[in-house]
Amino acid sequence: MAVSQQSAVLGETALRAATQKALAAAKGDEVEVLVLSRDLGLTRFANSEIHQNMRIASADIRVRVVRDKRVATVWTNRLDDDGIQRAARDASEKALVSPENPEWGGLPGVSSYPRVDAFDDETATTTPERRARLVGVICDPSFERKLRAAGYVSTTVTEVAVANSHGVWAYQPATIAEAQAVVLGEAGSGYGGRLDARIGAIDAEAVSREAIDKALRAQNPRELPAGDYEVVLEPYAVADIVEFLGEALTGLALEEGSSFVGGRFGERVTGEAVTMIDDPLDRHCLPQAFDFEGARSERVTLIERGAARAVVYDSQTAARNKARNTGHAYFSSEAYPYPLHLRLEAGTASREELIRGVKRGLLITRFWYTRWVHPLRTIVTGMTRDGVFAIENGEVAFPVRNFRFTQSYHEALGATIALEKDLLLQRIDRFTYGFDTGFCRVPAIRLGSFTFTGTTQY
Amino acid sequence: MTFSRDLAMRALDTARVRGATYADVRYVRREVEQMAVRNGHIDSVTGSEDVGFAVRALTDGAWGFAASQLLTLPEADRVAALAVEIAQASALVKRADVRLAAAPAPRATYRTPIEIDPFAVPLSERLDLLLRADTAMRAAAELRTTRSSAEISREEKVFASTDGAYVDQTLFETGCGIEAEAVGDSEMQRRSYPNSGARHQNTGGWEFVIKQDLVGNAPRIAQEARALLTAKPCPADVRMTVILSGNQAALQVHESCGHPIELDRALGSEAAYAGMSFLTPDRLGSFRYGSEQVNIQIDSLSPGGLGTFGYDDEGVPGSKGWAVREGLFVGYLMSRETAARLGLSSNGTMRADGWGRLPLIRMTNVSLMPGRWTLDHLIADTDDGIYMDTNRSWSIDDRRLNFQFGTEIAWEIKGGKKGEMLRNATYTGITPEFWGSCDAVCDDSDWVMWGTPNCGKGQPGQVAHTGHGAAAARFRNVRVGVVQ
Repeated sequence: MAVSQQSAVLGETALRAATQKALAAAKGDEVEVLVLSRDLGLTRFANSEIHQNMRIASADIRVRVVRDKRVATVWTNRLDDDGIQRAARDASEKALVSPENPEWGGLPGVSSYPRVDAFDDETATTTPERRARLVGVICDPSFERKLRAAGYVSTTVTEVAVANSHGVWAYQPATIAEAQAVVLGEAGSGYGGRLDARIGAIDAEAVSREAIDKALRAQNPRELPAGDYEVVLEPYAVADIVEFLGEALTGLALEEGSSFVGGRFGERVTGEAVTMIDDPLDRHCLPQAFDFEGARSERVTLIERGAARAVVYDSQTAARNKARNTGHAYFSSEAYPYPLHLRLEAGTASREELIRGVKRGLLITRFWYTRWVHPLRTIVTGMTRDGVFAIENGEVAFPVRNFRFTQSYHEALGATIALEKDLLLQRIDRFTYGFDTGFCRVPAIRLGSFTFTGTTQY
Repeated sequence: MTFSRDLAMRALDTARVRGATYADVRYVRREVEQMAVRNGHIDSVTGSEDVGFAVRALTDGAWGFAASQLLTLPEADRVAALAVEIAQASALVKRADVRLAAAPAPRATYRTPIEIDPFAVPLSERLDLLLRADTAMRAAAELRTTRSSAEISREEKVFASTDGAYVDQTLFETGCGIEAEAVGDSEMQRRSYPNSGARHQNTGGWEFVIKQDLVGNAPRIAQEARALLTAKPCPADVRMTVILSGNQAALQVHESCGHPIELDRALGSEAAYAGMSFLTPDRLGSFRYGSEQVNIQIDSLSPGGLGTFGYDDEGVPGSKGWAVREGLFVGYLMSRETAARLGLSSNGTMRADGWGRLPLIRMTNVSLMPGRWTLDHLIADTDDGIYMDTNRSWSIDDRRLNFQFGTEIAWEIKGGKKGEMLRNATYTGITPEFWGSCDAVCDDSDWVMWGTPNCGKGQPGQVAHTGHGAAAARFRNVRVGVVQ
């Protein structure tokens, strides 16, 4: 067997043994052990050739110890006996030195978890040669058309395990396969991306076709003035809106006064066509049955037909705010709940029908470099990227130069006219630096008004 | 489980035997301690240890990279063989062979100079400082949320290559910060010190944290956050003179100069994610980037910067040179591979985010060099303008042309005097036009080596720590006030 075919799955038995060693070595009233393991194969390309190609196997263990409400956490990636014991001892000693946190709300107790099937053997054993051939499916047609393709094809195996001194044990392996491509011409670019638990479901030809077609149509864009436009946002752009609003739909944002739904539950905060749910068990959204504290993850309706309904909590924000823990803990050291399986419910229109309804407006492929300008008002600024087109009388008319927008995202959804009937699975980008977590499924959407505040030179 | 020279040599030998024409191995052990206080209580005390090694192999003219956290000789064999196997797969979709510019093969060591080993400062002492800063903020104003935090790190790294390099480095970083948030009717305002993004950071020891005087600055920060709730909004959509504080000028340099001078971007390597650059190679040496007041240095030698080190992750020594000289674009950040494409030599800017990531071109210390004004003289010389301080929001297009920044706080300047406080200040522009409008940069008395410990790039994502020396600078005819 080639070295690259060896899977790095550690397995439930090994991870349970590792967590038990840490639980035994730590000294505290409460102890929690989290293991995050990832085996990533990623083949990256630019200028229509592979330029970075890697396999990275890593596993980290986090020991959190509570002694008289004094809390400390230690991470290590040394999973041998000595490394685990040292981390457990270190966390125990740090907890002893830390001042008490009177707000400490305790670790979650035992739960039962629904069975989740998120692992695909074929994806786990994908070779670099197979990834390279999928890259070729994207790069070669671009090269032949004198376009430049850039992006990646990746396959990932993840394992999450949580144990605590209250008897919690949770384990889940999963796989992720992904292909993303930006295709560039001399004056304009296009984008395509697909994500699934199974490599067999990644249609590299479709990614290639979508990005190339869009790149060809995007050449020689005209400049239109900044201003308010009716828009059709493709799912890549909509994912950004859902991602930012998700950050504001948490117990922490509510507690800190930075959420647009603060004091507004039951009130209309978006258009009536908008229903936004966090659904950790959505089998099409790389499901996860429990959060990073081992609490059972619940489905939470955040916005229902335009009205604010609820936010998500982890153990600590729930305790501080006398709310119910919805099982949305992230793995940061500070309490930081987040909806990690967001879904903007579909409408009934096709993509063509969304466009056909627009007399004068813009079709937007993606947003880029989006940042909060004012979190409480959900004002975000960012750029468009990889394909902006004018819509005239229901037809895509001509390519347009990129815009800068500065727009309240929930107010933009207040002008929702229609949503597409299909949903596209995507990553939540803000978690790309950590472990593989955070996904959403969203449709394309037609909005009555979106504010563009500037233009650029391409 | 420790790293040894034997393991490095074994990995390089195996890579060579398997067919690599060039290979390097990097070992990294990173130890970090983070402490955070929120609303008067300890929010987190976190330690971490991260150890591993990676092999990068060039085979059939293409790259392969493999990484592991197991430090054993059999694993060195496996990882080296895997890197070669991956390189062979890369060659299936290749347009040209990779070439590397010649570089020295040093055998050397480097250690960050520190006065006080941050790990030797007791945890209780570090936490006490943060709690006192938090108390001082809460005593000074009515606030919804207060935060104070510190981070210390030690990174031991070894680089060895088939060219014969063997470099052993130990780098220390120390950072800290406080934040005060006030909430009013439909308004939330934040002030941070010494910088936003949770902390200011340098290479060095605990002396850096002491110097910041978090406790002494806490009341001012708290009161400013509260005062911002009722401050006048920034004027909307007007063109006027803007003076950026040193820390905001530093981020402006980072986004609008530091990133576009990365040669991998300019050559398209990052087109899918981080983007490309308007500073294309045909513009090197001839493009007017800014006014004659604008001098921007690429430097990995100056003490204290987050981009200060002995050798980069290709074993190339640190260096100092110019990116922009009297407004003219004259230099890139380069690797051995990208420099070869322009017939140049690497200036030592390849860095990886730990053992499990591929080295990429990253900013070292990209600094706006001091001018001749004191800040007081600059304000006195400004009849009508806005002084903007401490970043709150930042965004720039994927070629680094159109940017928009917001700052936490601003003040009117009227008749040469700092006047009323302004909230929700933003400004926007096109990079070369903006730097072309720079008519003054403050001198050494205002110049600080700021740290940006959160620079994202690459797939999978990597976070780099970069340095940016800057002083306050003045810009004319800037579009101000996108949001009120």
